[in-house]
Amino acid sequence: MSTAIEVAGLTKHYGQVTAVDDVSFAIPEGKITGLLGRNGAGKTTLMSLLTAQEFATQGTIRVWGEDPVENAAVLSRMCFIKESQVYPDSFKGSHVLRSAQWFFPRWDVELAQELVDLFGVPTNRPVKKMSRGQRSMLGVVIGFASRADVTFFDEPYAGLDAVARKRFYDVLLEQYSESPRTVVLSTHLIDEASHLLEQVLVVHEGSLVIDANVDDLRGSAATLVGRASDVDLFATGRDVLDRSHIGGIASVTIAGLNDADKALAASAGLEVSTVSLQELIVRRTGANPAEEAA
Amino acid sequence: MNPVAHTEQVAPIHVPSPAQRLFNVSRLHVANPYPTLVVPWAITAVIFGLNIAIAQMVVSAAGGTSNLDADAFQYNGGITWIVVFMLVVGVQAMSLTFPFALGFGVTRKDFYWGSTLYFVGLSVLYATGLTLLSWLERATDGWGIDMAFFQPWGLMENPLSTVWLLYATSLLGAFFVGAATSAVWVRWRAIGMYVFFSALAIIVVGAGWLITSTNSWAKVGEFFTSTSIEALALWSLPFTGIVALVGYTLIRRATSR
Repeated sequence: MSTAIEVAGLTKHYGQVTAVDDVSFAIPEGKITGLLGRNGAGKTTLMSLLTAQEFATQGTIRVWGEDPVENAAVLSRMCFIKESQVYPDSFKGSHVLRSAQWFFPRWDVELAQELVDLFGVPTNRPVKKMSRGQRSMLGVVIGFASRADVTFFDEPYAGLDAVARKRFYDVLLEQYSESPRTVVLSTHLIDEASHLLEQVLVVHEGSLVIDANVDDLRGSAATLVGRASDVDLFATGRDVLDRSHIGGIASVTIAGLNDADKALAASAGLEVSTVSLQELIVRRTGANPAEEAA
Repeated sequence: MNPVAHTEQVAPIHVPSPAQRLFNVSRLHVANPYPTLVVPWAITAVIFGLNIAIAQMVVSAAGGTSNLDADAFQYNGGITWIVVFMLVVGVQAMSLTFPFALGFGVTRKDFYWGSTLYFVGLSVLYATGLTLLSWLERATDGWGIDMAFFQPWGLMENPLSTVWLLYATSLLGAFFVGAATSAVWVRWRAIGMYVFFSALAIIVVGAGWLITSTNSWAKVGEFFTSTSIEALALWSLPFTGIVALVGYTLIRRATSR
């Protein structure tokens, strides 16, 4: 599998604040990659750096082997749908869509119209007067109709209801299966989106904490419940994400387990259950699970 | 839905030529044509109509133009509003259209020179339109009442080419002064504005001080009265050029934050 984007030692400071801290990873070509993390973790900054909207303090970014900064050949093949996108005062939705076709060489007019109808984007309304959800939908339409080689969706469904989100996932899958392309999706709704993702990058306070294939990740963590002594014995020396005791019963969540490990745990009389991607990531990023899930 | 069955090989993306990219940026500014191609003419028409009405009222109260001074309607400066308007267009081009264009994957370089193309085009368009109206004003003896709305302050005595040149260079200057000032904001936000306007005030006061202390005000006045309007208009071009390059330097390292 070839690589679309390669990042090495990437760091971004804003004054005293380190938004991205010495991050290295690769984004494979033709896959859907999830960029996950809490608010302020550095997701938007990272995508702004990859699309040359921001300048790196240190490190290198290579998109198809080239530096994207001021590189028209690279930038015209990418599309970044940013949650906080600024629009000219006088622009209605229709002006945004009309001008989009001048900047995305593979722009699909028919698809744009189809999606406008599907999502019910009020194209004759000034963008300034649109609700957050309507602006999100306008962004989603641009993201798909641009048919760029790499498309970044930054929290694409901020302000969207469950029905609109479902439509987004459906369109994403449909578009992706018609013509596989590289998609990078940042989101909070990890469980909702997890079935779409093939790879995940998890950032926490500017650092990359997980860079893994989703299937490996999902299968590798498990929660074990049993007698405290048995649980503690099994957990010794392993990557314990979470641990709790109630009376003589203990529960631990452990990462990096293979099938043999799980079989061993089961034979030791422990109850083994898989952990959702969201739960796993929430634990890795050190938050209180109840608070994050809310 | 079978991912394999429907898979089609899409054609590689053809990157537009540099000239095409600049043209695309220039038309991005008029994707909605109303604010800069329609509204200014409409507002000018309203201001003009009101001024004609007032002038007619004066004429009728005086009992005919013969009872008024010959230059009674020669000093109407209403049309200068358009220069201020274009300054604001220059400001918004950098503060709003720039971050929007970055979102469409436009490089800073393409954005700035594409916007320059737009500024030059708009200057030529408005200078030509206003010169045509000046011609009409001459042909109708100042709308029948010796009024100089489109060529005030004695401009009517100059050839129409001078009127055109003055409009074109003033509008171009306004665009770039607006754009460069706005670029300071885009690059450094509020801090940039404080420093910029403080520095500007210091320069203006300093220059005034220098001229006063060397007793040179008479010379300054002489420069403006002895230099022809054409020469003054042309003198603005190197200034506009420097401002344009400063704006470019600022935008090259600006972000959309």
